[in-house]
Amino acid sequence: MGVDWNSFFEGLTTAMSLQNIIFIILGGLLGTIVGMLPGLGPATAIAVLIPITFGMDSTSALVLLGAIYYGAMYGGSRSSILINTPGDGSAIAATFDGYPMTRKGQAGQALTLATIASLIGGTIAIVGFVFLAQPLANFALRFGPAEYFFLLLFTLSAVVSLAKGNMIKGFVSMALGLLITTIGVDSQSGVYRYTFDIPHLSEGIDFLVVIIGIYAVGEVLYNILLLNDDSQRIKESVGKTWITKEQWKRSFWPMIRQSPVGFLIGILPGAGGSIASMISYSTEQQLSKKSDEFGKGAPEGLAAPESSNNAAAVGAFIPMLTMGIPGSGTTAVILGALIMLGLQPGPMLFQNQPDVVWTFINSLFIGNIALVIMNILLIGVLIKILKTPPKVLYPIILVLAFIGTYTLGYSIVDFAILMIFGVIGLFMKILNIPTAPLILAVIIGHQLEQNFRMASVSYDNVFAMMTASPIAILFAVLTVSSVFLPMILGRLSRVKVNNKG
Amino acid sequence: MKGHMKIFSGIMLSAALVLAGCSSGDSSADSDAAYPSKNLEIVAPATPGGGWDTTARAMQNVLDSEGLVESNMNVVNKPGGGGEVGWQYLKGKDGHTISINSSLVIANNLLGQSELTYEDFTPLAVLATEWMTVAVPGDSEIEDGITMLDQLKEDPKSLKIGVGPALGNNDHLSFVRVAEEYGVDVSQLDYMIYESGGDILTALMGGHIDVATLSISESLDQHLDGSINIIATTADEPIPEDENIQSWQDQGIDFTFPHWRGIMGPPDMTEEEIAYWDDTFAEMVETEGWQQVLDNNSWDDYYMNSEETRAFLDEQSVMYEDLMKKAGLTE
Repeated sequence: MGVDWNSFFEGLTTAMSLQNIIFIILGGLLGTIVGMLPGLGPATAIAVLIPITFGMDSTSALVLLGAIYYGAMYGGSRSSILINTPGDGSAIAATFDGYPMTRKGQAGQALTLATIASLIGGTIAIVGFVFLAQPLANFALRFGPAEYFFLLLFTLSAVVSLAKGNMIKGFVSMALGLLITTIGVDSQSGVYRYTFDIPHLSEGIDFLVVIIGIYAVGEVLYNILLLNDDSQRIKESVGKTWITKEQWKRSFWPMIRQSPVGFLIGILPGAGGSIASMISYSTEQQLSKKSDEFGKGAPEGLAAPESSNNAAAVGAFIPMLTMGIPGSGTTAVILGALIMLGLQPGPMLFQNQPDVVWTFINSLFIGNIALVIMNILLIGVLIKILKTPPKVLYPIILVLAFIGTYTLGYSIVDFAILMIFGVIGLFMKILNIPTAPLILAVIIGHQLEQNFRMASVSYDNVFAMMTASPIAILFAVLTVSSVFLPMILGRLSRVKVNNKG
Repeated sequence: MKGHMKIFSGIMLSAALVLAGCSSGDSSADSDAAYPSKNLEIVAPATPGGGWDTTARAMQNVLDSEGLVESNMNVVNKPGGGGEVGWQYLKGKDGHTISINSSLVIANNLLGQSELTYEDFTPLAVLATEWMTVAVPGDSEIEDGITMLDQLKEDPKSLKIGVGPALGNNDHLSFVRVAEEYGVDVSQLDYMIYESGGDILTALMGGHIDVATLSISESLDQHLDGSINIIATTADEPIPEDENIQSWQDQGIDFTFPHWRGIMGPPDMTEEEIAYWDDTFAEMVETEGWQQVLDNNSWDDYYMNSEETRAFLDEQSVMYEDLMKKAGLTE
């Protein structure tokens, strides 16, 4: 499919209309704010705002909902960087190096860097969208259960291997996460597992409750224990807003490299930003010459996952707009809204209503630029959070955590789960067990299991599953090497050092 | 501190007054004022954005914009347990709360997943239906329903069948029913259970499954585009968008199966309340706004009033019980 430049420019003109620009800015701002709050991710924000779009024309509605979505992607990293509390799964990787940067007194620079990384990721992905939407949609179809299983397994192993020299702890954390995902009704057999006759548990534990519990509640509990210990305080200075030349140089190639990675993963239905940002982070750590600085405030450790998850957010629109299949929870909600508005997203959309599609794509461009400006202007306001006295800040975080949790399932059962994970998070911090493997396992564990089970219907044994297709082979090899390569390399480098000595 | 206490007790006092005001308002309404005497609640037993939620919000929108209901209406989301959480909530409410339902209100209980039965509630209406389809990838060698059944009869494990989101739902049961009637050993079939229609479509288009059951709104666009091929429907009439699509009836199997959505209220609604909703829904389904909702979702009008709905549910319950036994899901 060639690019239809006529429709492209018509779309650009429509997207630039005053009404649509207002929707882009409004949606972007709403999304940024909602994205910052723990648990209130883009899907919730859009779902709640759907009634507003009743009666709007479908193009403007799509523009508005899209703006909320990527606004939330920009906002998601704010709370990760400032208070070590990700707003959504895809913002977890931003805590790894973003929060350490804040502790070093570089909060302003971290926020700017994340914003620029989001812009680069978004822009590269939009260019990819314009030229490659159709062929890439077909690529996504090649992922069957075996391919998904090995992709997910690779993601898990990549994250476990992040815990260098401490893989056992990483492994324990992951195993705990996988256990949690066995709660709920098992799709393949319809059996209820560990639900204790509580109807609310039949759909399993929402990973966002786990994230909010471990990060927000856990972090608050931990800090309360240390409230009078001044050595743990964040430096009062928030540093400059603009990034240094060195930070830019270190981040540039990782951002350029990881944007296409995020984009491709985003296209796969069901994968999305969490997986994209984790894979990007761990590959950058493996590639970096300064990999020992990762987790201690390396700028590229923040920039890589941030560009990757924004690229993934754009990629998720491809299956929705080309095939009518939602690529993520958020696009599923948008799809539902569009159908209510009388738009038929699906294979015919590009043919029947090219104006809608191209207006939307152009609005993504404009929206990204508008969001960068908004977010950089907001930095001055946001870093005030760091100057808020803990006695005020922590109760506010707790309140937000509870509100966010309630909006997920409208149930107070989740409050109990939230508190349990808050305590688990506290102990993991004290015992220095990495939390990322647990969280990621909770996010993807269910899919991992279900895909494995479906693959075992299709293939006789694990070996047949591994060799099902080149994609499956690739991810199987990557999985093995991500676990063993760091070990072997570690050995080798030690040998080298010994020789030198 | 003292100042705070004052403000606090002030708030409590006014809250108490407001509450008292409300309750006295209610009691007078119960005796003489017309129903509905306060805000109405529509329960969507699902998260915002899901099918039940969009149905509830579309209905609220039509009832409000066409001026059919004067009172304020709020949609409340009570997701969980395939409707269980929302319907438990409904059970404890008075006649000012109604809920969206579907065949799950029957199926959950039969599968032993819920204590609630459809008889615990007051049926108010069936509003719309979708027909189910059986589809294969666009390049599949199977071109009609009978060929597929023949192949399954010979070797039940020769085709991987995609259904979702759970065994025992209407997608699954409608397929089992046809296969069983044709003489296929349905206990041997190989299913892959996907979480949503979108996941099934992706798998079908990618050739990772051989056959899938989907509702018509999920499969029609991709069929028209040629990426999948609908080989049978459970409809009792031709599909207007493509009249070449064959129903099971066209292929000689006497079977129709609606995937319906309806409305029910809490137990023990009064005659007057039921009559109110009969009038309201009868008017609503005639409006252009509702027709638009049906069109947008590829639903068909399937309106039944409260009395017809009661009989329909009894009938459906018997049918579901039978289907589940045949599918080997219940004793």
